[in-house]
Amino acid sequence: MMKKNLLKSSLVNIVISDIDLTPGPFCMSFHFNLEPLKGSIEKYGVINPPYLLRNPDNNFLVVAGYARLMAVIELGWHDIACHVLPDSFSLFNALLFNLNDNLIHRQFNSIEKGMILQRLTHFISTEEIVTNFMPILGIPSNKQQLELFLGLDELEERIKISIAIEQLSIRVAGLLRHIDKNDRLKINNLFTSLKWSFNQQWETIQWIKEIASREGCSINKIINSKDINEVLHNTTMNKPQKVKAIVRILKFRRFPSLSKAEKLFIKGVSNLSLPLGVKIIPPPFFEGTDYKLEVTFRKGEDLKEKLANLCNVPELKHIPDFWKGI
Amino acid sequence: MGPMKRFKVRRILIEREAENDSLSKKIIEKLPNIPRERVGSNELALWEDIEEMDKDSLRLIHYKGEFLKPCPGTRRYICCGYQILNVGINCPMDCSYCFLQSYVNQPSLRLFTNLEDKLNVIGEFIDNHPERIFRIGTGEFTDSLALNYITGWTHFLLPFFSSRKNCILELKTKTSFTKDIINSRYKKRIVIAWSLNTSRIIANEEEKTASLKERIISARECQKAGFVVAFHFDPLLYYSGWENEYEEIIQLLERYIDPTSIIWISIGSFRYMPDLKWHILKRFPDTHIFDGEFITGLDGKQRYFKPIRVEMYAKLSERLKKWYDNLGIYFCMESDDVWEQSLGWSPKNSSNLSKYLDNRVRMVMPA
Repeated sequence: MMKKNLLKSSLVNIVISDIDLTPGPFCMSFHFNLEPLKGSIEKYGVINPPYLLRNPDNNFLVVAGYARLMAVIELGWHDIACHVLPDSFSLFNALLFNLNDNLIHRQFNSIEKGMILQRLTHFISTEEIVTNFMPILGIPSNKQQLELFLGLDELEERIKISIAIEQLSIRVAGLLRHIDKNDRLKINNLFTSLKWSFNQQWETIQWIKEIASREGCSINKIINSKDINEVLHNTTMNKPQKVKAIVRILKFRRFPSLSKAEKLFIKGVSNLSLPLGVKIIPPPFFEGTDYKLEVTFRKGEDLKEKLANLCNVPELKHIPDFWKGI
Repeated sequence: MGPMKRFKVRRILIEREAENDSLSKKIIEKLPNIPRERVGSNELALWEDIEEMDKDSLRLIHYKGEFLKPCPGTRRYICCGYQILNVGINCPMDCSYCFLQSYVNQPSLRLFTNLEDKLNVIGEFIDNHPERIFRIGTGEFTDSLALNYITGWTHFLLPFFSSRKNCILELKTKTSFTKDIINSRYKKRIVIAWSLNTSRIIANEEEKTASLKERIISARECQKAGFVVAFHFDPLLYYSGWENEYEEIIQLLERYIDPTSIIWISIGSFRYMPDLKWHILKRFPDTHIFDGEFITGLDGKQRYFKPIRVEMYAKLSERLKKWYDNLGIYFCMESDDVWEQSLGWSPKNSSNLSKYLDNRVRMVMPA
């Protein structure tokens, strides 16, 4: 933990070209919008000056205030008043300083959380990170999650942006790491060009991977298949409809027997001419043996009539057999 | 691939309470040159060791739990009423599909060193229930023979179980390590069993195990020496060409094995708790075991869509029956309707399956 007397810094006017502006060892900002900050600085100036550390090359490392510096550069400033921390200020304390500075006024996106965890690994043990820092960042404290977040750094910028703006699920990103670069960019495009829920993304990426494994073909080939392309270029469907259609195509390819059974069952039941408001529900995945009957009615008389009509459907006795011809 | 080799032990971790146990002393005597470390039973393991399972370290443990426990089986499917003799946990071989990868939250090959000292308690329990038949196995949480050259388990387990009329001990293995038992005088009430799978699955998914032929030749040697044997087709995996490749196994059995002294053959398709998948994919990213059509079963485990299971079970059991019609075929953790559709009969419930297998004991190994 930082000691309370560590914040002895001097406010100095620094020429911006003397500051190392590559995202340094304390940077935890990714894909931020500078416009509101620029607007504020134009109106009120830099209310909280950035904090810097002098580095051995005699220029300065940014400890806190990276976005503020980016904003003033865009505004064409030549120099800026900064706090320069004493040389005795350790790198680890500088990292903690910036973390705390950020924690009090904003939420991190997932890529930024990954950056923070990555930087912490240079100073403390895995166990310490899991126990003390992951809860602060709102991440479940376990090694698997830590690995997931650390691995985000390996992904391409486009994918990182999709994660940061929550277009791509972090769980999916974990799987993307183990997929060929071109394939993962293709998946990123598919997921960000339409409106997918995270659950749909998760299910779909697994199916695509498993289809590729079973059929011995590339992920790219699956996504580029004729039927998926037709959906993607269909001008009469909206985005959610396209997602549903692609999910259906992939499900059929991933679970051909189950999908066929479901189709046969639906067809068999629809041929029964059941009374209106009567539904027959198969056991989940046809694994159990118990089917359910659902009757929607308003009054007892209505129910009696529906049940009587139901008793007059002779084909009911074929119910479990509808799907067994797969 | 050469013949199966003994496993290399990198280190021995001895928990303080296990130091004076007889098995600990024997193991240390057997491996005098292996580095040893004294450890406390509560010492936390390294993350990396838990994940990789630390399969080349022995951890000697004075086990405080029950040594003999009923197999937990699974909810809503028919189970066989097996008893597990808990000799240790984890295994030096490395099968991609192994449930221990998510079941075990502690690393290393964990050997329970007070087993021999506790046998009297187990014996008393078995002897107090003469009306029951105890089908007991050590191969649930570890391989029954893989570490036997270090632990000498069979030196005391064979005489102990051989002398009892209301139990059998099944030693289930994927090794060819039968040298130590073949000359034993104690063969009565002992079943040596092999998990069988196709050569492709063994090569791709069962690292460090004996080849199919080695397993079957070992079984033949055990049969010749007078042991009753058993086979377990578990996990059955569905892939393009599975039928021809499982056929090859049966042809090998036909060539080398006398079917009349097989006590049972179990068949079970690959099933797994959802969480296991992520452990497996992490350790075996190129595995093909998830290629099939899995659905969520009644017990929450993932298993093949029912018609696929039925197809596999029916074809395999029909082929086995063609070899010999009285093999004691049974399904592991399956439902009544799957039994009916695949085999043409069903025990209906776990209790009846237990009776069926108890009768197999009476028939093949009369007291």
